[in-house]
Amino acid sequence: MAGSANPPGPEPPPAAPSGGAVPAARPLPGAARSRAASPGRRPSPRVAQLKRTAYFFRQNTLAMAGLVVILFFLIIALVAPFYPGPNESLTIYCGSYYPGSTGNSSGICNTVCTYALGGTPPGPNCYAVPAEEPSLLAPTVSLRPLSIGSFPLGSLTEVPSGNLFYNTATGLIKGAPWSLSISIAIVGSGALIGLLLGALAGYLGGLTDEVIMRFTDIFLSIPALLLVLVVLSVAGQLGGFTSTLYGRLAILIGAFVVTWWPFYTRIVRGQVLVTREQKYIEAAKASGARPGRVLVRHIIPNSVYPVLVQFSLDVGTIPIYLGTIIYLGYPIWPTALFPEWGTITAKAVSQEFVSAQVLLCQISTSCTFPWWQILFPGLTVFLFAIAVNFLSDGLRDALDPRLRR
Amino acid sequence: MQMWVYIVRRVLLVVPVIIGVMSITFALVSALPKSIRILSYFGPSKFGDGPTVDCERFGLKPPYPGATECPNPWWVHGTKALGLNLPIPVQWGKYVVDSFTGHWGFTGADSAATSMLSIGTGTPVLTVLSWYLPYTLELAALSLLFILLFSIPLGNLSAVYRNRPIDQASRVMSFSGFALPPFLLAILVLLALALLSGGYHAICSGTTTPYFLWYGSWPVWSCPPYNAAPYFGVQPAWIGPNFQTSPTHFPTIDALIHGDYYLAWDTIRRIIFPALTIAFTSMAGILRFVRNSMLEVMNLDFIRTARSKGVPERTVIRRHAGRNSLNVTITVLGLTFAFFIGGFPITELIFNLKGVGLVLAYSVLPPQDFGLIFGTTLLFTIIVVAANIIVDILYAYLDPRVRLG
Repeated sequence: MAGSANPPGPEPPPAAPSGGAVPAARPLPGAARSRAASPGRRPSPRVAQLKRTAYFFRQNTLAMAGLVVILFFLIIALVAPFYPGPNESLTIYCGSYYPGSTGNSSGICNTVCTYALGGTPPGPNCYAVPAEEPSLLAPTVSLRPLSIGSFPLGSLTEVPSGNLFYNTATGLIKGAPWSLSISIAIVGSGALIGLLLGALAGYLGGLTDEVIMRFTDIFLSIPALLLVLVVLSVAGQLGGFTSTLYGRLAILIGAFVVTWWPFYTRIVRGQVLVTREQKYIEAAKASGARPGRVLVRHIIPNSVYPVLVQFSLDVGTIPIYLGTIIYLGYPIWPTALFPEWGTITAKAVSQEFVSAQVLLCQISTSCTFPWWQILFPGLTVFLFAIAVNFLSDGLRDALDPRLRR
Repeated sequence: MQMWVYIVRRVLLVVPVIIGVMSITFALVSALPKSIRILSYFGPSKFGDGPTVDCERFGLKPPYPGATECPNPWWVHGTKALGLNLPIPVQWGKYVVDSFTGHWGFTGADSAATSMLSIGTGTPVLTVLSWYLPYTLELAALSLLFILLFSIPLGNLSAVYRNRPIDQASRVMSFSGFALPPFLLAILVLLALALLSGGYHAICSGTTTPYFLWYGSWPVWSCPPYNAAPYFGVQPAWIGPNFQTSPTHFPTIDALIHGDYYLAWDTIRRIIFPALTIAFTSMAGILRFVRNSMLEVMNLDFIRTARSKGVPERTVIRRHAGRNSLNVTITVLGLTFAFFIGGFPITELIFNLKGVGLVLAYSVLPPQDFGLIFGTTLLFTIIVVAANIIVDILYAYLDPRVRLG
């Protein structure tokens, strides 16, 4: 927030008087008056408006909490590249298999070894799965200290191939930049396309409006998750560039953009239809502004706030969607364990992982279900979504004069 | 306008949308490589999957003397049978006409879905979907019932007791439904049920625990495979192979027709918790809209009039405000229906419900079954469109201004 360092004064400006039916109609009468009184102090009504919005935003405790959580995640994402990665010199191997297994890769590990890459395995029983842990069967599950790194993330059946595993904490930290950037890229491109098309449809009207909105209707009637899945499964067959990491990312973003633009188009069109009837648009036209200038300078800046609110709401759902797709078994990433929050959550509750744990619990006399591997990634995804929810609520309240109290 | 004219017009307006959806799926199918499209219908052949093969290797007659490359018989047959040699517009026309006349293709020859669901290769997609659709419809009906049952009273309550504990509680509920990944919620419900009734080890230990007596075949993790038929567990004698003896394919209704009251109750009992899960995740937006619309209605003049006339507060809330905010609820239900339907694949996969969503969840697994993927998507879209028509008609019935204006 640009105005956060500079409070707008002790007296909060009054809410827009009656006639402020349009959210965020600018400039506010109050701003215009104060500028007339002291011309030098407030250079631009937009800055004044921004300060006013920031003031109302800061009054909202939940929104500020959401902002703090988002900032926390952003900081983690920024320092993540400097965080020590998964220990490359440690590989996790099966020590021995549970009785009855033939010992091939389809077996379930009874014990797990870690040893330096290139070294020799220390022995068949180097790291036994802790047998002294209390069982979940017990009526009280004793919550032990948070040792979120002690189990490899992923299916134990994958172990003999010598895969590199993230532990949960490392995965979450390393996943922050990926999750945030993927979410913003996906929703941002969808919002941009929707903004342009919606502004065109609302401003030009007529045939353009009709064509664009019919397309919107078509896309809106396909359930979003299904369309993403269909596009992904078709694109996955193409091969070549699409099998690399950046190719996969491009496909993923493309699949979501195809799904997401109609929502924004509809929102922006509705907003533009209201905005273009305003007096200041008439004034701009009367003073000889060309349609393109009216659209870009006047209509889009004044219709962009609902997009901002929806954008911040949608960013939080992307890890949930990605996790859902991963849980359904569709391989989005070129590697099995990509550090992305939704993916980590989905892997932690995936069928193969849980069934491996169940088998472990059945063959050992007592065991602990690795709840921390579900709790912490799930909590991260949940917190992210709920923080952006609060943030977008606060933004809407601060931007819409009718909702200010 | 008469009501029936409105209905007919509304239904006719849907045809272009459906054609548009078919065009999207057609575009996606056309993007697939030819070899994959042939492979998914005719299966692998000894000739490989290229357009040409080595003549000598397979003893084929060269097309002209001295040629070493012969046309691949599998490719030639597949191209011809699928009409891939026709111009694209003709293919599109055939695709649309076939989709409208119920020719939705066949299940793949070599796909994960056919083996996991044991539905056989080359079965018409529409036949497969007709086996699974009734169960999904029952689940959808129950979830919708739960949504209406919870969101309307809760939304009204939180509007009446604004900013009081009940309002905060309902807000927390709506936020959590939005921010919890659906797969995580479903699994937590499943684990909670397993822990509450029978203990963790009971998940796969047979049918003797209370958990299994009540919740049948929900957890399939590392358990023996269950019947692929749309009915769970032990099939009663009156359900023959291929369901000749089940008149409607709706499990509950069939059981009632056959006088098998236990099975009818059993079927409903199994979908209560999945329906609650779906309702919880898709209720967030609806709850908020109900609350806001109720708040808006409560400030209108006719409410003040009713109060000043001395109408009891209960009646004001129920009759005057509640009924007027019902319109908004129905509209929002229509708008969020696509999202609601999109939650079915994951829920049906986790609870192992034999519905269309499960078919989709399995058919996106590689090797994918493109016939099933596109058939399921089309079916879900048709459900969404049909739901929107019903919502519009209901809206027009409740609010005469819509059809008169």
